[in-house]
Amino acid sequence: MAEEDRESRLESFSFNMEDEFFGEKSFQHYCAEFIKHSQQIGDGWEWKTAKENLELTVDDSEVMESAAASQVIKYEYHVVYSCSYQVPVLYFRASFLDGRPLALKDIWEGVHECYKTRLLQGPWDTITQQWRTCLGLFHSVGCAPVPALLRELIEHPILGQPFFVLHPCKTNEFMTAVLKNPQKINRNVNYITSWLSIMGPVVGLNLPLSYAKATSQDE
Amino acid sequence: MTDDKDVLRDVWFGRIPTCFTLYQDEITEREAEPYYLLLPRVSYLTLVTDKVKKHFQKAMRQEDVSEIWFEYEGTPLKWHYPIGLLFDLLASSSALPWNITVHFKSFPEKDLLHCPSKDAVEAHFMSCMKEADALKHKSQVINEMQKKDHKQLWMGLQNDRFDQFWAINRKLMEYPPEENGFRYIPFRIYQTTTERPFIQKLFRPVAADGQLHTLGDLLKEVCPSAVTAEDGEKKNQVMIHGIEPMLETPLQWLSEHLSYPDNFLHISIVPQSTD
Repeated sequence: MAEEDRESRLESFSFNMEDEFFGEKSFQHYCAEFIKHSQQIGDGWEWKTAKENLELTVDDSEVMESAAASQVIKYEYHVVYSCSYQVPVLYFRASFLDGRPLALKDIWEGVHECYKTRLLQGPWDTITQQWRTCLGLFHSVGCAPVPALLRELIEHPILGQPFFVLHPCKTNEFMTAVLKNPQKINRNVNYITSWLSIMGPVVGLNLPLSYAKATSQDE
Repeated sequence: MTDDKDVLRDVWFGRIPTCFTLYQDEITEREAEPYYLLLPRVSYLTLVTDKVKKHFQKAMRQEDVSEIWFEYEGTPLKWHYPIGLLFDLLASSSALPWNITVHFKSFPEKDLLHCPSKDAVEAHFMSCMKEADALKHKSQVINEMQKKDHKQLWMGLQNDRFDQFWAINRKLMEYPPEENGFRYIPFRIYQTTTERPFIQKLFRPVAADGQLHTLGDLLKEVCPSAVTAEDGEKKNQVMIHGIEPMLETPLQWLSEHLSYPDNFLHISIVPQSTD
């Protein structure tokens, strides 16, 4: 009985590879599951609806040590659904408490070394080559270049304010790979949790492990 | 009867007579005369205003000059919106020339994106083209192009070369013979009265029964309040490139002929003009 339930649930939110890999309804469903767990552990994610536009947001405060004194940096992350690419997109910005915005290279400096390597080498190095002209922005931060996939300022589609963004053009590709195995063994997977656990750390956002446990407990 | 190809040229060569005036609080060493320029509707402010910048910088000290930004009647102008869209949305009911104020100080960080170089404009432009093709062809056409084709699209826009641009862009306007149009239509609808910058949704050019969707069908579906007349009177104008296309126009045709170079239909909804 339990086997049947699980299968039918996977089917109704299954990824129709042909037409809509990850439709808006799937996005809403997985965000709802995500928020359930977030509310349990109180890590601050909110689900906002602005007419028909839906997004997850969270504010993080982090203390950044600088040469002169320690400063508090406020990070804001928004997960918004892109109907053009039919994937979620991660928007983020960081500012000092007085409102002064951080530049992309400052944010990049705060990213842990191992994630820098991952972003520079991972499956994204081919995109970097291909889209260097398009994304156009290769800054030098000390010795490490900021990868081109981290877009310099873009307008948030709902708020209309400047945010940084992780470009969504390759999300579909790597999420297909990520989700193939769990689907084969009929294991429950929350798209949003998986996606955010990959993208998030690259821009300083870490998901507690309990999210993964919460998903597998639904089995 | 005008050939459809003439429409492409009319759209490309549309111009807006503009008068640039330096903001009164900017510190100048000598009088800064207003500067007049015909702005291309299909281009972007930071791409076509080098002469404006040079003109005003001549009247100022080097240390008083930082990143240029533009404003119309108190509204900072987003350089990443096409010029024609900005005009239709904000100034179409005012008399010409379009009066734009030039600033070199107090950059409005919360409202405007920085534009550090022409590379930023290119990156933004190519990003829009890519998104448009994701909607039209699942990115297949643009991804199959070589880097030099992408470069040609950009250079065509930058240098105002219609033939150079359309030699490549025509490929983005094709669709499989068995279909009647693109997969989805790239469009954005703008209104100054809403908080959200624009409306963008998935919308097919062809209905299930094979009928071509019209501009009216699109508006009814994505922003009905903007066009339905409650008391029979027309509240708003639906404007693209400074004109009001008939609501019966097939959306597929509009997408092929009235898109901006980024392959998007940028549609403004503005209050009905009283004159």
